[in-house]
Amino acid sequence: MIMQGKQLTKLVTRLESGERLPAELYARTGRARIVGITGPPGVGKSSLIDRLIDELRRQGKTVGVAVIDPTSPISGGALLGDRLRMQRHSEDEGVFIRSLATRQHHGGLTDSTPQIVHALDAAGFDVVIVETVGTGQDEVEVAEVADTVVVVLMPELGDEIQRAKSGLMEIADVLVINKADLFSAGAARREPRSQNRGEPRSPNKGEKWERPTIHTSAKSGEGIATLCGALDAHHAYLVSSRQLARRRERAARAEVIRLLQSQMTASILRALEAPQSQTILTNVAKRKLDPYDAVGKLSVRILGSNNRSSKHVARSPR
Amino acid sequence: MKRPTKVLIAKAGLDGHERGALVVAMGLRDAGMEVVYTGIRNTPEQIVAAAVQEDVDVIGLSSLSGGHMAQFSRVMKLLKKEKIKGVLVFAGGIIPDEDVKKLKKLGIKEVFGPGSSIASIAEFVKKSVRSK
Repeated sequence: MIMQGKQLTKLVTRLESGERLPAELYARTGRARIVGITGPPGVGKSSLIDRLIDELRRQGKTVGVAVIDPTSPISGGALLGDRLRMQRHSEDEGVFIRSLATRQHHGGLTDSTPQIVHALDAAGFDVVIVETVGTGQDEVEVAEVADTVVVVLMPELGDEIQRAKSGLMEIADVLVINKADLFSAGAARREPRSQNRGEPRSPNKGEKWERPTIHTSAKSGEGIATLCGALDAHHAYLVSSRQLARRRERAARAEVIRLLQSQMTASILRALEAPQSQTILTNVAKRKLDPYDAVGKLSVRILGSNNRSSKHVARSPR
Repeated sequence: MKRPTKVLIAKAGLDGHERGALVVAMGLRDAGMEVVYTGIRNTPEQIVAAAVQEDVDVIGLSSLSGGHMAQFSRVMKLLKKEKIKGVLVFAGGIIPDEDVKKLKKLGIKEVFGPGSSIASIAEFVKKSVRSK
């Protein structure tokens, strides 16, 4: 390990507060395998990670873990309850676990998650695991950070139409049905075949990976070794097919775009504080000005007078 | 950007009565803090390791089983051994008055017994962190 304990924990705190990762540390990243664990609340993501840590440690691998729970939109506080499922690994020096609150970031991660993953990678952990908040159908940001995405579900979560929908289900490289001990009959164990046949999926075009469905029980330990095997197999696939490089390019692109966006947003918010901008906003509310014309006027103020593409600015998604 | 106050709430030793600790954890969450809750049956070693990895400002220890002297004093000893400074420690549970004095001598800032209001605990944490 290059970095541990107090040094690492203070670095993570700084990253969480919006500071940047020192460039010399970024240069040391790219060695760890990044595994994202996502799925609805209560399916057992944290308990599954607890078991995964066991298995990885048995193989002699060190593990850095970032677990995310939501910030209250009302109080700004958060109850971070993922760690308690894996607290028994706290004393293991080959394991580092950090709980993060979303602080109003939407998408399943936190603003600082990519940087924190880099920090754990640079610190020398062999495997970095990111657990998203409990996700619905549309929080797919973890696919921009992880090499391998594990979507965790449980029995009786919905019929096969639910699983055929876009979004979360599409980003799974490995599908886990946890709480397999709850299966009443064998029926629910069936996974729709068509999803399982390595068809190109939208975010990962051109990949020929047959997504496995693995039944696990974090309670009994059933299927954990199989899951670890699937993670290894997916990593081997990414390397041999050169998809790993592609995914990491995609991740780098997403991270840079995000940082650019937050910088732009900050300058937009600053510009909006000016009294003239306030007047424009008030006029929109009073229906004296429509939102597109307001953007036209404001973007001249924000981006400079040579900007003529205010329509595009206004219409670009999000 | 200043982060919210980060608190670790843990139950030390062989004690399964977690309702109180959970209520305090939720109360501090509602007061705008980020609360890591590590549940029941933590060893002092696990608590201190978690406090380091989570980089918390505050540790809240709970015990209702009578094991507080052994468990809490071990936590304080480990914090000292690990040279962890500036972390506020408070406690709660069924703790006799004579032990409260001893615990305070060990560096535990405040001990909240049955009937303590969430508001008073949150206020105490806020004030103590501010004056740190």
